[in-house]
Amino acid sequence: MLLIKSKRLRDTIRVVVPFIAVPLITVLGALAFDEKKHIIIALAVAVSALLVFAAGFEKKSTGTRRMVIAAVMTALCFAGRFIPILKPVAALTIITALYLGGEAGFLVGAMSALLSNFYFGQGPWTAFQMLAWGLIGLFAGILSDKLLKSRVLLLIYGAATGIAYSFIMDVWTVLWYNRGFDIKLYLAALVSAVPYTVSYAVSNVLFLYLLAKPFGEKLSRIKTKYGV
Amino acid sequence: MRSFSEYNPIAVAVWFFSVTGVAMFCSYPALMVISLAGGVLFFLKRNGFTHRKTHLFFWLLFAVLALANPLVSHNGKTVLFVMNHNPVTLEAALYGVNSAVMIIGVLYWFRSFTQIMTSEKLLYITGALSPKLSLVLSMALRFVPLFSRQSAKISAAQTAMGLYKEDNIVDDIRGKSRIFSIMVTWALENGIITADSMEARGFGTGRRTQLRRFGFRRGDILLLAASLALLGVTAAAIGTGALSFEFYPSMEMKELTFLGISGIISYAALVMLPIFIETEAELRWKYLRSGI
Repeated sequence: MLLIKSKRLRDTIRVVVPFIAVPLITVLGALAFDEKKHIIIALAVAVSALLVFAAGFEKKSTGTRRMVIAAVMTALCFAGRFIPILKPVAALTIITALYLGGEAGFLVGAMSALLSNFYFGQGPWTAFQMLAWGLIGLFAGILSDKLLKSRVLLLIYGAATGIAYSFIMDVWTVLWYNRGFDIKLYLAALVSAVPYTVSYAVSNVLFLYLLAKPFGEKLSRIKTKYGV
Repeated sequence: MRSFSEYNPIAVAVWFFSVTGVAMFCSYPALMVISLAGGVLFFLKRNGFTHRKTHLFFWLLFAVLALANPLVSHNGKTVLFVMNHNPVTLEAALYGVNSAVMIIGVLYWFRSFTQIMTSEKLLYITGALSPKLSLVLSMALRFVPLFSRQSAKISAAQTAMGLYKEDNIVDDIRGKSRIFSIMVTWALENGIITADSMEARGFGTGRRTQLRRFGFRRGDILLLAASLALLGVTAAAIGTGALSFEFYPSMEMKELTFLGISGIISYAALVMLPIFIETEAELRWKYLRSGI
């Protein structure tokens, strides 16, 4: 209400950020800074991507019911992060995206990261976590036709995104530690993160296997009953 | 006279991201040390000597991070010793320590920030960005305790009906998944009812207001202006290369110019701002109380 009051300004941001600001940041950043400053570019791109999504979501006339269901799923993700070792956040995000669309998936993934980090520790990684989980949801929404038809494909998607999530977060770890990208450190980070990578992939597959069907039934029931 | 956490959240957030931004994007050792010292001091000022586990974890992490670099990276001229046919260099070791100082400093800042930025302030900031997102966040926050209460109720009802035993693992898992399934169905239905009730009361017809109002007072404007000005000087010093420090191939520090020194001083002032504010508020309280 204070920062972006007028609708026109929000619309401008929606156009300016993805088509002008993000490429400009990337190109200028690559030219102006040496490789040691890649972290600035990475963080700026992540934050502006999240801002674009926020502006777009604000503009769209999303139904109240849809928003409340997104809030319910976010709360479930938050609660799910308390389960030791196995984390159902990505799986729940994917399920939401399958039945409510990619935008809802992005919303649930990003918001769960933001909210749960208030408990698990905020840090500069929050922006990356938000973006990573959000994108997992967004792509699940885009691929929803295929993923809904074949369970095997869904489980493969779960495993792949689990591994991809870990790899993305390791890029961030290296950038933060070293400021520039360093392949040796990245490989070391990947190796030391193997238990986490396995746990992400396994929990995605496990929770998608267990939850996809019952959750799908519940969500489609709500959809037909109330016409969300 | 307010304590730092009572200032307008936007001013506090700007100050916070200035401090951590400089710490993250620059690798000048003096600034890193200032950031770490300030972060620890601020955390101690707010919490006293509690949170022992946090400190322990941070300093263990510090040791791991400081040692990781010389073992992986073999750049640098001064070889200290050779391990497994790989040289361990002084430069890489110090680079690791510098990175560790930065990371632990930022972790301390973020820990304090999470304590200051309570959920209502987060909602205030996201509300400025997007009222709808702010609504989703605030509802999700409200749902977490609601769901845990509801699942306790469901579990009690299931136990009363004799459907839930904890004797063996299979029964336990079955019972838990049944409770979870009931909970989710209830949560979704309850969400729809909430949404309908909100719409019936006129949600979306007007501008949304906040439960708590944060005005922009003179102190907030001063804090905002001071943060931006000090950040500007530091950023200018870093941007023009007045503060540059090369670790590889051998350590090389640029002679400190006037701009470099003022950059360091203004960053130190930026880091100390909240500590000044808190101390000033404390002293005034003391003075007022002694006047009674």
